[in-house]
Amino acid sequence: MGPGMIHVRDVVMRLTSGGRTVTVLDSVSLDVARGECVAVTGPSGSGKSTLLGLVAGLDTPTSGAVVVDGVDLGTLDEDALARFRRDRIGFVFQSYHLIPTLTAVENVAVPLELAGVADARARAAHLLAELGLGARGHHYPVQLSGGEQQRVALARAVAREPGLLLADEPTGNLDSATGASIIELLLALNRERGSTLVLVTHDAALAARADRQIALRDGRVIAATDLSATLPLS
Amino acid sequence: MAWRETRAGWRHVLTVLVCVALGVAALVSVGSLSADLSRTLAREAKTLLGGDVEVRSLRAPPPAVVEAVERLHAEGSALTHTRELVGMARSLGGASLLVEVKAVDAAYPLYGVVEIAPPGRLAELLAEGGAVVEESLLARLGLQPGDRFMLGEAALVVRGVLRREPDRPASLVSLGPRVLVSQTSIDGSGLIAFGSRVRQRWLLRLPPSIAPSEARARLAAAIDDPSIRVAAFDEAQPGLKRFLDQLGIYLGLVGLVSLLVGGVGVAASVATFMRRRRPTIAVLKCLGADTRTLLATYVVQTELIGLAGSVVGALLGVAVLPLLVAVTRDLVPFAIEGRVDPGTILRGIAMGGAITLLCALWPLLRVRDVRPAEVLRQDVTPVARARRSAPWLMALPIAGGLAALAIWQARSWTVGVIFVGAALAALLILAALGRGIVMLARALPRRGALAWRQGVGGLMRPGGQVAGVIVALGVGVMLLEAVALLEASLNAQLDHERRREAPSFFFIDVQPDQRDRFEAVVRDTTGVTPRLTPVVRARLAAVGREPVTRALVDRRRAERKGDEPFFLIREYVLTTASVLPDGNRVIAGRWWTDAEARGRVLVSLEEDMAKSLRLGVGDQIAFEVQGVRVEAEVASIRHVVWQSFNTNFFAILSPGTLDGAPTTWVATARVPAALEPRLQDAVVRTFPNVTAVPVRDVLERVGGLLAQMAFAIRGIAGFSIGAGLVVMIAALTATRAQRLYESVILRTLGATRGVVARAFAVEYACLGVVAGVGGSGLASLLAWIVLRFLLETPWQLAPLTLATGVALTIVLSVAVGFLTTWRLLGYKPLPVLRRE
Repeated sequence: MGPGMIHVRDVVMRLTSGGRTVTVLDSVSLDVARGECVAVTGPSGSGKSTLLGLVAGLDTPTSGAVVVDGVDLGTLDEDALARFRRDRIGFVFQSYHLIPTLTAVENVAVPLELAGVADARARAAHLLAELGLGARGHHYPVQLSGGEQQRVALARAVAREPGLLLADEPTGNLDSATGASIIELLLALNRERGSTLVLVTHDAALAARADRQIALRDGRVIAATDLSATLPLS
Repeated sequence: MAWRETRAGWRHVLTVLVCVALGVAALVSVGSLSADLSRTLAREAKTLLGGDVEVRSLRAPPPAVVEAVERLHAEGSALTHTRELVGMARSLGGASLLVEVKAVDAAYPLYGVVEIAPPGRLAELLAEGGAVVEESLLARLGLQPGDRFMLGEAALVVRGVLRREPDRPASLVSLGPRVLVSQTSIDGSGLIAFGSRVRQRWLLRLPPSIAPSEARARLAAAIDDPSIRVAAFDEAQPGLKRFLDQLGIYLGLVGLVSLLVGGVGVAASVATFMRRRRPTIAVLKCLGADTRTLLATYVVQTELIGLAGSVVGALLGVAVLPLLVAVTRDLVPFAIEGRVDPGTILRGIAMGGAITLLCALWPLLRVRDVRPAEVLRQDVTPVARARRSAPWLMALPIAGGLAALAIWQARSWTVGVIFVGAALAALLILAALGRGIVMLARALPRRGALAWRQGVGGLMRPGGQVAGVIVALGVGVMLLEAVALLEASLNAQLDHERRREAPSFFFIDVQPDQRDRFEAVVRDTTGVTPRLTPVVRARLAAVGREPVTRALVDRRRAERKGDEPFFLIREYVLTTASVLPDGNRVIAGRWWTDAEARGRVLVSLEEDMAKSLRLGVGDQIAFEVQGVRVEAEVASIRHVVWQSFNTNFFAILSPGTLDGAPTTWVATARVPAALEPRLQDAVVRTFPNVTAVPVRDVLERVGGLLAQMAFAIRGIAGFSIGAGLVVMIAALTATRAQRLYESVILRTLGATRGVVARAFAVEYACLGVVAGVGGSGLASLLAWIVLRFLLETPWQLAPLTLATGVALTIVLSVAVGFLTTWRLLGYKPLPVLRRE
């Protein structure tokens, strides 16, 4: 394991919902080393997805600091955060979040184009072929199954070979067989590229395959278990 | 239930309300102005006429006229006699000016008050060579009250400034400032010479024992000459009435277009609303609500919103009325009060309600297609079911209703049907363009920068209502550009500098013994030889074999539903010619040879005159020239290009016909602009009786009038653009969630706000380009139709105007698009993604 990829210090996140203030994260602190695979677990409403979103710079904490790859995200404006995500973070969502008006290959090519990569489309097509979707590149998301859409989302997330891969319940909308294949792909890609992987899941079996588990409840870290010595990744 | 459903969709309510309000505001403001004008015209009829009954003649009065009038005077009627003509005023320094002169007697005016500054009794001010003049004369000749000036050969003193003349003839373009003088002064001016065109009016204020209709009948019976007009106050000013009616109708149609555009917005908003309410409707159906109840609920809801919008629109129309009055004030010869007309308000509200119902009905019928099973699965598109009734059957009553509204507004079947046809064609073309751009977006190769592709892709967004936005914006662009194109073409006609063939002056009433000297004066002053044409004044004596009598005139007037049979009663200016004049083209028969002309008396008639008098080649016509009857056979019918500014004639006789007749001369001359004032002054100084009509001045006045009318029409058309923008805002708002979602995904993947903004800009600019090009194209077509068929004026391509219209539409589209959606760029991605 290398020096730290993620440092979260005393992060508090409060949201207003229906006129009430809800504390989603309550003084959460954690570290993730480079190259580590960490599973964040907890019941629904424990703040897992919010934590992941803050690490990706998709929102700003009420208080506290989030440092990713040596950069304090609180010092970056919106455009700087976008560029940071473009260059260093890949995100896989539970609901895929593909752009409905772009084809599969175009969706994968978006981060490459944003970075000004010359042969973005060709590289995207190659990635899709690697994931078994070579013949479906010209289809729109609405024409793909859930599993296929998630594979497209996965290809999009790794297109720029980011140092940090975040996955929020990547199999939540999939049946168990499809979900399992997606997880295998995710873990294999992560292994090949040596990136850091933070995975939010309520699937205990999946969580057990990570190097470490961080358990959240009611917005607090209640346990951090190092599994790397007890359970091998493969 | 209707109220509860309304609470759920305040944006929809606001959109429908504003769309309807703008259209109704346009109709109410125009309708109120029109009603005010009609009311004022009727109320002020006696003042505008100057009496209860008028006898008007362009010739020296025959004894019958004087006797008939004097008889009524003797029975207790007040009587005044006026004479009006154009002439030349001249300062003692030599500057000259074309003026409209009115000579009055001590009894004038019978109704109303002549407002003079400083105030004084008119008869006293005009006595002993006094004159009351309009302010503009003082400015143009550099005079002050108390200064002397020449009117023809008479030296007069300015004793007051004319502020308001109650019975000023209703002529939209005056040839010059008004000069009021006494009858004695005009007799001494030498302006009333042989051949002068003097309009004489005898005005009577009747005693209570004599009704105007009775007096009119008695005068008409006593005066056989139909060219001498006899009118009671309630039939006076037919030309003005017709102009005001037409103005009201056409402005009202422009306002109706605004309401139709608003209807497009209503339809689009209701369609979006019903799409969003689909899950709710499915649940309600599960709970037992039947289709009829649901449909009635939504119809009631929409109609209530529409009526609320109509009321708001009516209030807005009333608020805007003073602006409209200010813009149209100079177009009418009386003061407009700008009073609110309750009937117009009620009618506007009714039309707003009707449009709402008609335009909302189609999307509301989708209630019928919602299946209760949709509560179980919404993400699968249901297999299309056969509709309960063919959609076109529903479209027919809706279209019929809209057509009926248009005909009601136009107050004419012909105009209404043409309007409906034109509006339908425009809507269909623009809708086709809207669908076309979406199809093109789908078919275009996926190349280019991400922002471009994302922007073009945005046109395919479900619920984007691209066709609706393009129709709504395109119609507004079409109206505004059509006005600009018409104005440009008409101004090109009026641009004196560009019209190389147009003369600088028409000189009228050059006497026979002045002819040679006149030519010399013009040549010596400018080096240009004037063109002189001999003319005689005449009236129509017989059409075919039928003498022109008052009975014939009344019969023809009744056939034309009250319109004056202009060609039967007007004064003619006749000339002879051996060759066909420039700007004339024979369209029936043929031009005479010298031999034919020597053989018999022939006449060539202008086409409108021939059509109105129902004369063809070979028919007979007779004129009366100073008591001498001239009978002629129609040898040809001509098309005349009146815009050529040549000295054109309705009737031209064969050479020799008018030999020995009392002739005056009309002269034209085109001189460099710098020499125009010198020429005018030289002619007026040498020949005080000659009237010099400066063509440039007149064209500029007409141009000014045109600009005012265009401004007023643009103002009403502005409601259309406003409605179009509301439709665009509504469409953007309807797709706001999707737009936000896409922008957030892009930003999650690393796109800066600039990239997202560029994608938005591409989408809005595409909408603007299509609406701009479509609207401009339709505007060109509309302008061509109006110029070619209504105004018979050449159409000119105005590429700069068209390009400007397209560019402004794009700018407006992008600006409004960003104003509506810029906030989306500031949203944090995570809360949006979590909601999805």
